[in-house]
Amino acid sequence: MLAELINPYHFQVASFILINIILGISVYITLSTGQLSLANAGFMGIGAYTSALLTIHFDLPIVLGIIAGALVAALLGILIGIPTLRLQGVYLAIVTLGFGEVIRVVFINWESLTKGSVGISGIPHIGREILSTLKGFGFDPKVLGLQNNQFIFLSIFLLLFIITIGVIWFFRRQHRSRVGRAFAAIKLDEKAAESMGINITYYKVLAFAQGALLSGFAGALYAHVLAYISPADFAYHRAVEILIFVVFGGSEVIWGPIFGAFFLTLMPEVLRFISEYRYMIYGLIIIILMAVRPQGLIDVNLLNWVKTKGKKRGQKHGTGNTKSM
Amino acid sequence: MLIEQLINGITLGSIYAIVALGFTLVFGVLGIINMAHGEIFMFGAFIGVLVTTSLQLPLWLGFLAAILITAVMGYMLERFALRPLRHKQGVSHLAPLISTIGVSILLENLSHHLFGAGNHPFRASFAEINFQIGSITIYLVQIVIFVISVILMMALSFWLGKTKAGKALRATAENLETASLLGVDTKRIITMTVIIASAMGGIAGILVGMAFNSVTPQMGLSMGLKGLAIIILGGMGNVKGAMAGGLILGLAETFIVVYGDSGYRDAIAFLAIIVILLIRPQGLFGQKIST
Repeated sequence: MLAELINPYHFQVASFILINIILGISVYITLSTGQLSLANAGFMGIGAYTSALLTIHFDLPIVLGIIAGALVAALLGILIGIPTLRLQGVYLAIVTLGFGEVIRVVFINWESLTKGSVGISGIPHIGREILSTLKGFGFDPKVLGLQNNQFIFLSIFLLLFIITIGVIWFFRRQHRSRVGRAFAAIKLDEKAAESMGINITYYKVLAFAQGALLSGFAGALYAHVLAYISPADFAYHRAVEILIFVVFGGSEVIWGPIFGAFFLTLMPEVLRFISEYRYMIYGLIIIILMAVRPQGLIDVNLLNWVKTKGKKRGQKHGTGNTKSM
Repeated sequence: MLIEQLINGITLGSIYAIVALGFTLVFGVLGIINMAHGEIFMFGAFIGVLVTTSLQLPLWLGFLAAILITAVMGYMLERFALRPLRHKQGVSHLAPLISTIGVSILLENLSHHLFGAGNHPFRASFAEINFQIGSITIYLVQIVIFVISVILMMALSFWLGKTKAGKALRATAENLETASLLGVDTKRIITMTVIIASAMGGIAGILVGMAFNSVTPQMGLSMGLKGLAIIILGGMGNVKGAMAGGLILGLAETFIVVYGDSGYRDAIAFLAIIVILLIRPQGLFGQKIST
């Protein structure tokens, strides 16, 4: 029954989809104030390395390690965010790209701490940790009819699923709050937003820090799910990959990066024969999308259309809240 | 020792300057960061390897082939990735940046498939010839690279400053609409700019291949990122700034390898731009930032 349904490989892929969704949202959040940050792969690396090193060298529980990783990334995000705020558009994109490169070079060269380009292995694994904790309470996965490693992958998936739902829930709430409206106003017109009394410095740094926090968090999860990290995991290509999730899915609504991360992580796994050409296809997708549909596949209009389709009588409702969600 | 390093630094710097010129031309006219420039540069280097090493043809043919092919690539880039985005309502100013990132991903992986991921040696027939002046060794390759770079920079400066097409380009860079009202065919100028910038990237590719005797699909990325750093260092869209910025970065990198930690060589460029943007955001030679 349950045992036959659980293929560790499928759950592994599903876990990566969930982590990528969190990463996609991290870029979306910064972008929702009109700032393009390409440093999120770097922040992800900071989170991953912080958590991995803390749990390995100081025997910190994984939960604390992940929280520490996310906080360190957020702190760095604030430090980077404040000075780079005076930059806009492409300048910010390039500086954040450069910052990501600096982080990568530091990871490679600080060998005494990070083991250089070899990477860190033997990072405590979330699933195994959960299993051993539960076993301490006298629980045995055989009760559910599962092998140990099936249970490990299932527990990781469920944990990440709950976390991802929580993240989505939080940012959807935020979108409809005062903060979300401030973000949208800044994205639309910074000067107008400022003259309306919105503290744009505060909100831009907030968005930047949230993006950093979230990518550091995702990076820490990544480290403890994979149990191995190396500087190459957090290089330029990762930054671009995360960006593609958002660009492909749509950067206007939170469902865009979620869909983008889901589809683009799943596609190479399902279409194995394509995976060799994966990045070429990525490149083509970006070029075509920018020319045809620069806002991404999912945008506000599409969502409204789906909504009005869903409730057929909702014509009056549909016009009233075009800007929400 | 010091003078030898100085020569190495200037050689490297003059190559950087040419790469950066390609970026700065496109940015000056279009206001776009061309993230695909590094990959076009890398293709130029591969064309050079194919012509000189695989086909055993002379070096000047390698240059010619590289210029032609990268020019065509520049045209395609403009035609398919940039032109569709221009004059389109409601397109974010980040769209062209993302679009060129798409081109760069495509080209990088295309070259993986065409040329393989490995390292291709690039042997110029005169690679071993060197001169001894006192205790200093100068390789002929270095002189060739330096001379070609200087000629290229001078030709570009002359072209931009004195010819009609160059003036039209500068007018377009200053204000596209006004230039177009004054009878400049801005569409042609834009296409021409991207083509010239790409061809310069192709030449730089061969020069880098000769300088390091190695060509890989990854070189486009690292060189492209450095080119970006240089134009920020020198001031965006500023031709003289790109040349000076290239030389500064070349010298800085060479000297950190000699006197510091060689591992951090690739980080200098970015540390420099982070510092520059904090202290003097318009760049060393820039006038003011246009936002």
